[in-house]
Amino acid sequence: MSTTATWQSRRPPDLTTCLVWSGALAFALAMLIALGLWIAQASPAISEYGQTLVTGQQWFYRHQLFGAAGMIYGSIVVSLLAFLLATPLAFGTAIYLSEYLPAPARPWAKTAVEFLAAIPSVVYGLLGVILLRNWMADFLSPFDPLSGDMLATAAVLLAVMILPTVTTFAEDSLRTVPAAQRLAARALALNKSQTIRRIVLPQAWPGMVGAALLGIGRALGETIAVFLVIGRLDNQFPDHLFNPSLLIEPGQTLTSKRGGPETHIPMGAPLHWGAILSLGLILLIVSALFVITGILLRRLQKTRS
Amino acid sequence: MLKLHFKTWLIAALLAPVSLNAQEILRINGSTTVNPVVTESAEILKKENGLTIHVDTQGGSSGGISALGDGRVDIAMSSRPLNPADQAKYPKVKFHPTKIGADAVAMIVSKDVWNGGIKALTRNQIKGIYEKKITNWQQVGGPNRRIAFFNKEPGRGTWEVFAKWLYGKIENVPPVAHPEVGANEEARNKVSTSHGAISQLSAAWADGKTVFALAIQSDDGKIIPPTAEHIAKGDYPMSRSLWLITNGPPTGNAKTLIDFVISERTHDIIHKHGYLTLADLK
Repeated sequence: MSTTATWQSRRPPDLTTCLVWSGALAFALAMLIALGLWIAQASPAISEYGQTLVTGQQWFYRHQLFGAAGMIYGSIVVSLLAFLLATPLAFGTAIYLSEYLPAPARPWAKTAVEFLAAIPSVVYGLLGVILLRNWMADFLSPFDPLSGDMLATAAVLLAVMILPTVTTFAEDSLRTVPAAQRLAARALALNKSQTIRRIVLPQAWPGMVGAALLGIGRALGETIAVFLVIGRLDNQFPDHLFNPSLLIEPGQTLTSKRGGPETHIPMGAPLHWGAILSLGLILLIVSALFVITGILLRRLQKTRS
Repeated sequence: MLKLHFKTWLIAALLAPVSLNAQEILRINGSTTVNPVVTESAEILKKENGLTIHVDTQGGSSGGISALGDGRVDIAMSSRPLNPADQAKYPKVKFHPTKIGADAVAMIVSKDVWNGGIKALTRNQIKGIYEKKITNWQQVGGPNRRIAFFNKEPGRGTWEVFAKWLYGKIENVPPVAHPEVGANEEARNKVSTSHGAISQLSAAWADGKTVFALAIQSDDGKIIPPTAEHIAKGDYPMSRSLWLITNGPPTGNAKTLIDFVISERTHDIIHKHGYLTLADLK
């Protein structure tokens, strides 16, 4: 075995390998350069304000206050809520598509779901402005929200937006479980729901978690749809972390802030510009934390089984 | 053969932006208030002179001025005057404003507020609402309904005119956060679909059907609505000039457009959108 490996490594690399590697390296290098430029431009603000960029609860650029806590809170709460709303529905739909729907109907249903995933987010955003804002204001009227612009509205809109993405990837993952195993389960007298729970889901689970993570990633990065329905109210931070009352208030996310006019204003003002770019870095870190959590969860799952 | 085709296409795709640039597109960015007048003028010039004009409203007036300062556009549309801070940010740029007309900033309210009897507010009442000292319409003689204030986002000419009227200088504006709205269309849409809502909006955009322009009650009790008459006389407090700004005196296509906008031919367009022409102001 080891001799084969040495022989392979001594062989001059072929053209395809060279192309793939140089492409990958060029891409990685471009990303690193972009990240480096980004950090360089953010650094005046980072060195001036330090951790208050993350922990500060006040953002008033005219008063040189740059605290992103309200936006971080907004981003995380809206994405998590969207995730909680969308994932059960998406997994349910995926299981139905993969296990229950008659085979001839499946491609049609799958195409329909993927079509939903392909709708540009600004369309969802405008539907949110025209319909969802008013529905949410009526639906939550017992709690007397100020208007239809709420964190909750943004979360519901995001849930609708990530639903098709999560569904289609979860379904892909379910389809990777070989049909022979389902037949074998039937032969062992397991019924349909037992087959799904004992045979299919355990094998498809890591892929389904991956699908849900992709959904969170999309929710965190979504800008324009959130921008249109969240109300863009700065500095909303709860007095205690699980206070739900802010959900029916307007708020701000890292992306909705960056979608706003403040990216056009600070040209020539390095501190303000740096603070705006820091928001992007914070978003990058928050997304990375979610992805790493997901990978760890999957690893935990694997070691347990 | 196929590969050759692919290469040709690739080269064509790479060259396309270059050849487009060669056509000299006139790039314009800025105020959503000035935008309809400029866009309609651009359409006429496109037909008559074959000019290609791109009009955008990223970031409002300040966004337009920044874009002009950076050299990303040829003309900035602005609904606020240039200020020393703009010049300080772009010391090398010779901002050259051309006045094209006038407009007023109105406080607009949603239907329930208007029908609830609020037709005018004083400066102090508006200040109280902005600073969240007045939070219910009952406190100013209206219905029992919480006040939903939609603030024009920073950088918008509308907001700056409003802020200067209330606080004199923008630096004096206290740090209060409100939900924000951007373009005029958005302000109008959000106010008309919310209860107890108020916002600042170009008076010309207050249609009197979905959103309603309040009059300003002066200290001596006079009620002054934002009508053309009061804007021209200058006694409506939040009236403002509309500008097209260039780097140095306008030349070439920029001059063609600006000359057209300030000519008599655009009077109907300007009036149609509810603004005042230079002739009206004389």
